[in-house]
Amino acid sequence: MSAPDREGYAARQAQLLDALLRGADYPAGFVAAQADAAGRSLRRKRARAVAHAWPALALQLGDTFDARFDAFARTADAPASGDPLRDGLAFARSLGRDAALGDDARVELLLARAALHRRGLFVRAAWLRRPHRRLLVVARVPWLGAVHRSVRGRPAGGSRAVTRGCRRRS
Amino acid sequence: MHRTPVTWRLGQGAGWRPQLDGALARADGLGFLEVVAESIDANDLPAGIAAALLRGLEVVPHGVSLSLGGAERPDRGRLAHLASVAERVDAPLVSEHIAFVPAGGRESGHLLPVPRTYEALEILCDNVAIAQDALPVALALEHVAALVQWPGAEMDEATFVRELIERTGALLLLDLSNLYANAHNHGYDALESLVRFPLDRIAYVHVGGGRFRDGVYHDTHADPVVPGVLHLVEELFALTDAPGVLLERDDDFPPEAELVAELRAIADAVRRGSEHRVGA
Repeated sequence: MSAPDREGYAARQAQLLDALLRGADYPAGFVAAQADAAGRSLRRKRARAVAHAWPALALQLGDTFDARFDAFARTADAPASGDPLRDGLAFARSLGRDAALGDDARVELLLARAALHRRGLFVRAAWLRRPHRRLLVVARVPWLGAVHRSVRGRPAGGSRAVTRGCRRRS
Repeated sequence: MHRTPVTWRLGQGAGWRPQLDGALARADGLGFLEVVAESIDANDLPAGIAAALLRGLEVVPHGVSLSLGGAERPDRGRLAHLASVAERVDAPLVSEHIAFVPAGGRESGHLLPVPRTYEALEILCDNVAIAQDALPVALALEHVAALVQWPGAEMDEATFVRELIERTGALLLLDLSNLYANAHNHGYDALESLVRFPLDRIAYVHVGGGRFRDGVYHDTHADPVVPGVLHLVEELFALTDAPGVLLERDDDFPPEAELVAELRAIADAVRRGSEHRVGA
């Protein structure tokens, strides 16, 4: 018996994957309704995982989340690790400035960027207005992990309040 | 060929997830837990898993990324990881899927079905043999739920799985929810299919929740187990005394009481079936 054709097999699988995940044409012989349902189900599963990992972003996008994520997912594969935090980071970046992220979503984005930063020092700051005006500084330091400091601006009581937190590397 | 005998009695089990850790630590009557191997570091086990081992539960590593149904041969690093987790938890066996995950150099993040052809079967058998050589314990293979079917099938699912199990000597991880889903969505009789699976090679059984959406059954693992699946549990145990049955819940985690009720419903179905087993 001849050896099985792994290359042809790979090509057919890749073609099915393109159809399911990116909306490309199905290979001949597939039942379109079945394949459409499968593609929708796979994209929905991915969207749900990202919405869970990014609650503030999901809350802000509300009813538009699914449609926006679907548009993103058709052009970008999920990360190899399958990590929804990383997937959501790519999604959040794809939204660009149009999304006009609110404070909660910006904090979420900043913390995710710090958590996923792998090499060298990461320091970013964001000026936030709610629930009160403050400067949030998030840093990720090699060997130490993620650290954040929140500095309250123009406090009612007079002195500046600093809250701090530290999350060790996992 | 690695034809391993089934020497274990696992009893009732649950898929361990961090969100279920407390509930599973308190649940009565569990004999085993299943952990997603890719989520575990063999050198740094989650406390809940380490505690379960101390309590005498078996832990079965469950792989989701080997892509045994893929065109590529299984990755050595992923196999070594699965082997290291199996050794760390002193697992009686490990399990994986009859599915492909990446293709054309791209990760799908999903367990996708393989064509039921003799060519696909041959590639699958080669990949399974490579995996068996690299693993310290027996390998059980799970058939997946698939909304989409490849055209040109040369055999039905039960026959395909039976061929694969016979040729490789691997064990069967029978997923009754996947069987139910495929039978419902592709219009065949679940029970008629069930009796033609290699039931004498069952390592353990999966039961998961799902829901109907527009007439299609979705194997979500985020909803309660539907009555049709519990009925299959009963029918299975009327036919054979499977070594273990495990509840999979991966999302929309229920309150503890609901989880316990789900476990009890499965145990009741096992008991009802067993009472009707001829020769039991």
